[in-house]
Order: sequence, then structure tokens, then C-alpha cells
Amino acid sequence: MFEFFVRSLDASTIFTIAALGELIGQRSGVINVGVEGAMLFGATLGFITAQTTGSYLLGFLVGIAIGALLGLLHGFFSITLGGDQVVSGMGIWIMGFGLTTYIGNPFTGPLGMDRIPALWGLSPFFYVGVALVIIIWFVLSKTSLGLQIRSVGENPSVAEVSGINVSKTRYLCSIAGGMLMGLAGAVYSLNYNPVWNYNFLMGWGFIALALVFFSMWNPYILLAGSLLFGTLWQLSLNPQLVLPGLFSRYVWRMVPFTITLIVLFIMSMKWFRTRWGAAKPEALGLPYIKE
Amino acid sequence: MRIADYELTLKKRETLFGWQAAIISILAVIFALLLFSLIFIQAGANPLDAYKEIFDYAFFNPFGLPLTINRFIFLLLCTSAFIIPIRAGLWNIGMTGQLYAGALSAFAVMFAFGVKGAKFAEYPALIIIPLMMIAAALGAMVIGAIAGYLRGKFNLNEIVVTMMLNFIMFWLVSFMIKDGGPFMNPGGRGESFELPTSLYAPLFKGVPFTLIFALGFAFLLYWVFAKTKIGYQIRAYGQNPAAAAYAGISAVRIPLLVFIMGSALAGLAGYHYFAAVPGVYKIARSYAVLGDLAFYGIICGLISLGNPIAAIPVALLFGGLTNGGRYVQGKMQLGFGIDYALLGVLMITLVAFQFFYRYRISLVKKRKESLDV
Repeated sequence: MFEFFVRSLDASTIFTIAALGELIGQRSGVINVGVEGAMLFGATLGFITAQTTGSYLLGFLVGIAIGALLGLLHGFFSITLGGDQVVSGMGIWIMGFGLTTYIGNPFTGPLGMDRIPALWGLSPFFYVGVALVIIIWFVLSKTSLGLQIRSVGENPSVAEVSGINVSKTRYLCSIAGGMLMGLAGAVYSLNYNPVWNYNFLMGWGFIALALVFFSMWNPYILLAGSLLFGTLWQLSLNPQLVLPGLFSRYVWRMVPFTITLIVLFIMSMKWFRTRWGAAKPEALGLPYIKE
Repeated sequence: MRIADYELTLKKRETLFGWQAAIISILAVIFALLLFSLIFIQAGANPLDAYKEIFDYAFFNPFGLPLTINRFIFLLLCTSAFIIPIRAGLWNIGMTGQLYAGALSAFAVMFAFGVKGAKFAEYPALIIIPLMMIAAALGAMVIGAIAGYLRGKFNLNEIVVTMMLNFIMFWLVSFMIKDGGPFMNPGGRGESFELPTSLYAPLFKGVPFTLIFALGFAFLLYWVFAKTKIGYQIRAYGQNPAAAAYAGISAVRIPLLVFIMGSALAGLAGYHYFAAVPGVYKIARSYAVLGDLAFYGIICGLISLGNPIAAIPVALLFGGLTNGGRYVQGKMQLGFGIDYALLGVLMITLVAFQFFYRYRISLVKKRKESLDV
């Protein structure tokens, strides 16, 4: 049971980091539906690097770097070129899915390195995740940079008039967000489940995307949500630990997705929105083109 | 930017004619194929040879061509399933889940007739096959309707919803065909029971009759979008949902309708590949490969710019490319997943080329600048 608890926190960490990356971008008004693609890239290239060089550090750095690169690419398509952000995000996802399947295939199998040692009984990344939540909450709501980011996400033309460089801010957020997604992928393939397999993520990125809507763009709710979904996900992988013999294991695998749908559905109902309000950034998904 | 005496400038397009958009799409495909030759070079193959092999096998080989046509039918149905919602500005990336639902429903009909495990028994094909197709369309519609309703009524992001449904359906198929699930083959290798020979779909010169449906729906859709009131309403909603609402077009009905229409076609695609393609006739262990192939529907839909008739040659091209890609992968001993890599390269190229729908680059010869003192 303790083992299950630890694994759940590990899973939650990945959701936390990836969803934080998405949250930063969305607060600046850039939606990136390609979280899963960025995670796949970070995971696959991080895995390959770590396996060939034998260094975890290099693996994580490469994961973060490729994430940053994809964030930059998304920024270029959606900020500089002013394209549809959904199209660009879909591009990143399908590119990630397609290319990593091809690139990673020769590396199918376990990583074959010593596990990363635990810190006080938990994976060190759990503390990283919690620290990131606090840092990002602090930056977004207590600093002038955060104000800048939020104003760009709410009303870019007003922000521009008050002297904020909209493109620069959005690029910053998109790249930082991409780095976190790449890191989340690398944490998955180097720490959580160090085995490369075809399309191994199977929906982590999309649940992270849903978590951002769930969090109402608040890092603390996001942390709570990822704890919930991390536990749920872990439960769906090892149902026998909690409820042995109930349902087939395949039915359990459907559970996290079904609950995501139900939660999103409840949250989008009128009584919920009027009661809790929605902090959705006003300019989310809208390209800003200076005329 | 300046190159020698020429000045490169970007101009915003005021209008985009159909033929201009078509040229951009064609250029995007050519560019992606050029970019993709890098992967062949990296794998140590001559790109020209590789492409020649691909096209030879896909379109001129007596074994390859039927496979291409089967993939073409599948892709065309998936593309139509993507095109209908995209005309209303909505993203249906749930073709995968919808086609799984279609396949499961079609198999459920056979299950209800007690077909499981009776491979050589005689069944009334004239009754059961239409029932299977109707069930496939209806089963997929249910899945599609969830996404459409949630989008229309509650404004839930349809990308997240359809993706969640994809995963739910993926595991539902596993549940049904593996580990003693109801549709498991009694022989038991984690695949579904096989179709009895009497329920094989009719073939015309080796081509399943579903071809008629795929082509027929493409033309029908073109007509619907061009000539009918409902087509007009879908397009109006896609252009500007708020303005459409003022014109009395329901913001709940249109998303629901486009998702129902689209997913019905995806369901037929599921019927086609799992119950009508010669040599398959079951839900195989590796059904995920077909689910992934459905993502080509997105690419075909984007390339053909939402035009159902333009989608026909595009789907044929990609049916051939993926089929031929699989073939050269084996023949030239390239790494697994050539068709996946192509999917990735194509998609990102297309995204980049979206830019040219809004801007054009013009090359203007500059006069030598005189020193203005």
C-alpha cells in the first residue's frame, strides 16, 4: 500500500510538471494542445541520451532542451506567424507522435541504468514539482513579470499600449512551458517508467491539458488535481492493490479518462461557473497581430 | 530581406482563391516529401529509389494496389469524418475512437446472431451486412454525439473530449477482445473472433463494396456544403459562431450535428477495415495501428482544405504512401515506423505552410540604389 502511495505521487509529479508548463503558456494567452507531443519528444530523446551516454543529467537536459525548442516552434507558428494555435499544437503533437515512434524504435526496451535514488522515501522530482508550483504561483501572482504575463493573456492590445512587449512575453511563456513539458516527459521515461515502448504515454499529455482547465488556471488547484489524477492513474494500472478482482484491468484503464470527462463536464455547467467563476484568460487562443 | 538585387517582401493576402490554396497545398506536400528524403538518407537509402519503390508498389503492383485501395477507402471515410466538423470550425480528432466504436458495434451484430466460433456456418448476408453497417454508423454516432453535445451545450474543448473518448474506446476494444472478453477468439491470442466466410463483404475485382460508400459520401458532402441550407448553416457557424447565432443558427445544434455526421462516417471506416477488407476480417491484436492510421484523416482534411472532393486524390496519395512506406521499410530494411515518421513530417510542414494562406512572398527586382547625398 505504501508502495502504491509512492508510485501515485510519482505519477502526480509528471502531471504537475507538464500541466504547469501548459498553465504558464495559457496564462499568456497561448494554448498548446501539443503537450503530449512535447512530452513524447522529451521522454524519447532524454531516454536515448541517457542510455547512450550513461548520464541521467544529460538525459534530463536534452529533454528540457527539446521541450524548449518545441515551445519556440509553437511560439514561432502562433506568435510570429500569427497562425491558429490549435493547428500548431496539433502539428506538434502529431509530429511528436510520428517522429518519436520512428526515432525511438531501435531503443525499445528497458533503460538499464541504476534507478534514481529516492529522497526521504519519495522520488526527488516530487519535491521539484511542489517547488515549481510554489515558484510559478509566486511569479504569476506576486511579481511584475507575472502581472505582465497575465495582462498579455487577458488583453494583449491594452498590454501593448502600456509598454509590455506582447510577443516577447508570449515567447518567454511558450518556451518556459515547453521546457516543463519536455522535463515531464523525461521524468516519465527516466524515472517513473524507464522502458521505451511505442507511444508509451497513452494520454498523459492530454490529461495534463485537461488538468489546466480543471485548475481554473491556479497552480495550487492544479497541484491538487494532479494528485487526484496521479492516484487515479496509478490505481488504473494496479487495481489489484486496492480492489482485487473487481473488473477487468482494461476497464480500469478507462477510468481516468472517464473521470476527466465527468469532471470537465461538471465544471462547465452553469451553476458551477456562476458559483466559482472561470479565470480563463480572455485572450486564450487568439493570435495577436500588431497592426 | 534582400538577395542580390532582389527584395523579398511579405504581403498580406486580401483574398485567397481556390486555385491558390490548391497550389499551396501541393507545394506543402512536395516540400514535406523532400524533407522526408532526409530520413531515407539518414537510414542509408537513396531517396529517389525509395520513392520509386513506394509508388511502384503502391500504384502499379498487383499485390500492392488492392492494399492501397483498401487504405484509400479507409482514409477517405476518416477524412470526411474530419472535414464535416472542421467546416464548422471544430476539430474532430476522435476518428480513432469512433472507428473503434463502429467496429465493435458491427461485431456486436454478429455476436447477437451467434456467429462467434462458427466460421463456416451459413448466414443471411443480405440482412446481416446492412445491419452491421448501420450498427457501425450508430455506434460511432453515439461517441461522436457526446463530443458534439458537450461542445455545443457546455462549450467543452472538443479536442480534449474526443481525445479522452479515443483512449476510452481503445481500452474498451482491448476489454472486448482480450483476456476472455466477450468478443475474444476462442482460439485465444488476444484478438476477436473471425467473420464467417458467408459474411465477407462483396468484392468487385478484389475491391470491397465500401468504396461506393466512401466516394458517394464525398460527393454527397460536397453537394451538402455547396447547395443545401444545412451546409450553409455549418459554414456560417464555422466562419463566425456569434454572427451565426444572430442569424438564428443554433449554437447547440450545429456542433452536435457535425459531430454526428462525421462520426457516422468514421464508424463506417471501422466497419470497412475490420469487416470488409480481404485478409483481415477480425479485430486483430495490433488494432492500434489502424487507429493511428486514422490520424492521416486530419492531414488529408487539412491538405484538401475541407473540400470533400479534393480529399479523394489526397486520400489516394496517402493511402499509397503509407502502404508503399510499409513495403520499402521491409524491403530496404529501414527502421520500423517509416509511415509514422512521414505522418509527423507532413503535419508540421502543413502547419508551417498555413502561413502562406494569409501572406504571400513576392520577389521584386530593385533598381540599383543611387547614393542619395
